[in-house]
Amino acid sequence: MKRRELKAFAYIAPALVMALLFSYLPLIRSFISSFLTISQSGQIRGFAGFGNYIRLFSDDAFIRSIGHTIIFTLLFVPLNTVLTTAAAALTRRKRKMSPVAEFIFLSPMAVSLSAYAIVFSEMFRGRISIINRMFSTDIAWLESPGTAMLVLVILGVFLDFGIDYILLLSAFRSIDKDVIDAARLDGAGPMQSLFLIELPMIKPMLSATVFMAIKDALLISAPVMVLTEGGPFRSTETVMYYYYLEAFRSGNRAVESTIATLSVSISIAAMAAISLRRRHARKDF
Amino acid sequence: MKKLLSYLLVVLTAFPLIAMGSSESGKEIVTIWHCSSGRAGTALEEIIDEFNSTIGEEKGIEIEAVYQGLANDVITKVKAAASADISSLPDIAQLDATACLDMMNADYLYTIDELGIDTSDIMPQAMGAFTSYKGLLGMPFSCSLLLAYYNKTLFDSLSLKAPETLDELTAIAPLLGEKDSSGNVTRYAFAGVPTTYELGAFIGAQKGLSYFVDMENGHQGTPTEVLFGKEGTFRNFLEHWKALADTGYLNSIPSGTTAEFASGRAAMILASSSNLTRILADVSGRFEVGTAFVPKTDENATGGVNIGGEALFCYSDSDAVKTVIEYLISTEVQMKWSQATGYVAVNTEIYSNPEYIAFLESNPAYSKAIEQAEASNPKVVGIWLPSAYQIYYSFQSNIMEVAAGSITIDQAVDNMVSIVQTALDEYARANID
Repeated sequence: MKRRELKAFAYIAPALVMALLFSYLPLIRSFISSFLTISQSGQIRGFAGFGNYIRLFSDDAFIRSIGHTIIFTLLFVPLNTVLTTAAAALTRRKRKMSPVAEFIFLSPMAVSLSAYAIVFSEMFRGRISIINRMFSTDIAWLESPGTAMLVLVILGVFLDFGIDYILLLSAFRSIDKDVIDAARLDGAGPMQSLFLIELPMIKPMLSATVFMAIKDALLISAPVMVLTEGGPFRSTETVMYYYYLEAFRSGNRAVESTIATLSVSISIAAMAAISLRRRHARKDF
Repeated sequence: MKKLLSYLLVVLTAFPLIAMGSSESGKEIVTIWHCSSGRAGTALEEIIDEFNSTIGEEKGIEIEAVYQGLANDVITKVKAAASADISSLPDIAQLDATACLDMMNADYLYTIDELGIDTSDIMPQAMGAFTSYKGLLGMPFSCSLLLAYYNKTLFDSLSLKAPETLDELTAIAPLLGEKDSSGNVTRYAFAGVPTTYELGAFIGAQKGLSYFVDMENGHQGTPTEVLFGKEGTFRNFLEHWKALADTGYLNSIPSGTTAEFASGRAAMILASSSNLTRILADVSGRFEVGTAFVPKTDENATGGVNIGGEALFCYSDSDAVKTVIEYLISTEVQMKWSQATGYVAVNTEIYSNPEYIAFLESNPAYSKAIEQAEASNPKVVGIWLPSAYQIYYSFQSNIMEVAAGSITIDQAVDNMVSIVQTALDEYARANID
């Protein structure tokens, strides 16, 4: 038994060492730093108490960035889920022309994030933009606050589309054919089959993609960086972009450590809540 | 296993040798992190290739230029490198004014005075932009300044001259603008929202010379107090700006102004003189482009504009670095550089060079920038602030909101004073003894 335990530890040791070095130690350091005043070059200059946290929450820009992140999440997650599920549902039956549809829906995965963000910024730039020409609209997409957020959401959906589509499609296709055939024999139409049989059966995968979307939305920063730089007028500044500006552009260690500590605490709390619920749910069975 | 370990050891010990600054040919390597892309990037490559095949060959020096993104990407990387390991810094970095405060307080920077490079031929306005109480922090290299661009064909057809003050612009705005039958504006008199860069002129030039913050805009030490509030300079600017907005022909867009200008939807914009070549290309002869001095905030705002752009900051005091810097500001290089990019040549010897005079005569738009630089008070300098990025966007938001009428001028002034003062206090708390 002892030997087996040792062996088990030996197997997880590399991962444990990595996690310790790159996750847990920095985490503890950030936590301690968040109560200290630290200079740009990393010198500790004194104890700050809750000063760094008070500073963070008294910054209008930070409060607004939380608002922007929530708006983005509320727009992005439902839109992303509905669109990818619809695309996967429409193309779930393997047919002769399936590869064409699959290729189209998967192609967003083949190009890098920043390349897409740059293409988007060119397509939506100014009133004389390509998009305005195509749809004969007259909107300054990236120059007015509301629409810039919308463009960001569209870009976000586009970036996540490929991976979500492939996950959902494979979930649809791995459903046991017998179940669907049985339903059809019992008189279920295509709509009933989709909504009452197939969708419930891919629920685990669906929830995985929803959680991934939530995570991506809450942590969004790179598309903001390339597409809008938080603008116009700081209207698309998300929490992570605010963090990037303060920590990396301005070398503000007070903000760096407090946001890191807060975001990790929130995700630990969320994970704890989820696992508690799951434990309760299992007891109910 | 032992064999594997010994291989690993050999590789590990050899690695630092490869990473050290000497190439296979035994030349001393000088690394430059730069932010020149497009036209400027090509020109810089040519300039560096020429060095490597001539002076470099002779003296055993090789320049290795690495493009690191925009100027503020370069400073982000420089700071990251410095806090990780000083030896990972490049020898030279091309940085703009947003880097100056950090560089002034950085112990790993060698000033141009410490390197002992002769600066007697460098344009004083360009030197002022990068001079601190510690001396010249970086060698001005790619310098530019704010310039007014206007649709000369349109102005001529209305027999108008480029406005000299904001009030003049406000007065002619209804003439320059145009509406369609349903009342939508199809051409604005002006497009853009001023922010830190433009305010350098709109605030800096007031009363001949005004500072945003104490310590001469941070050049004489880390700033501690906001001045644009209590001296009333920001309010004065906002009052004139609001009057322009109230004509209905001000298009408050924060970006994409050159596209609006080139498509004829804006009669006038402000942009860096270094954009001239690109703007001329975008307009591509659809109308004549005029360049003019930046309109003054009021009659008494006579300070002109500050010089912006980038300088070369050194993190090594070797003779090789000195040689490279001296090469890059030499008359031949600066002449080539400014003609290829539209940057203002920093070496004043060039201005008496017949070849350069001929170039300016055939490109009058370029000479306006130099004229304006020379007419400006060398004391009108860019602002060195912490959190420059956030302050830049905050100025933009507040000025836009005043123009749109969603906040009052008082509120905007209070907001900006408090935002900048907080940034100053925070920086001082963490970084100053």
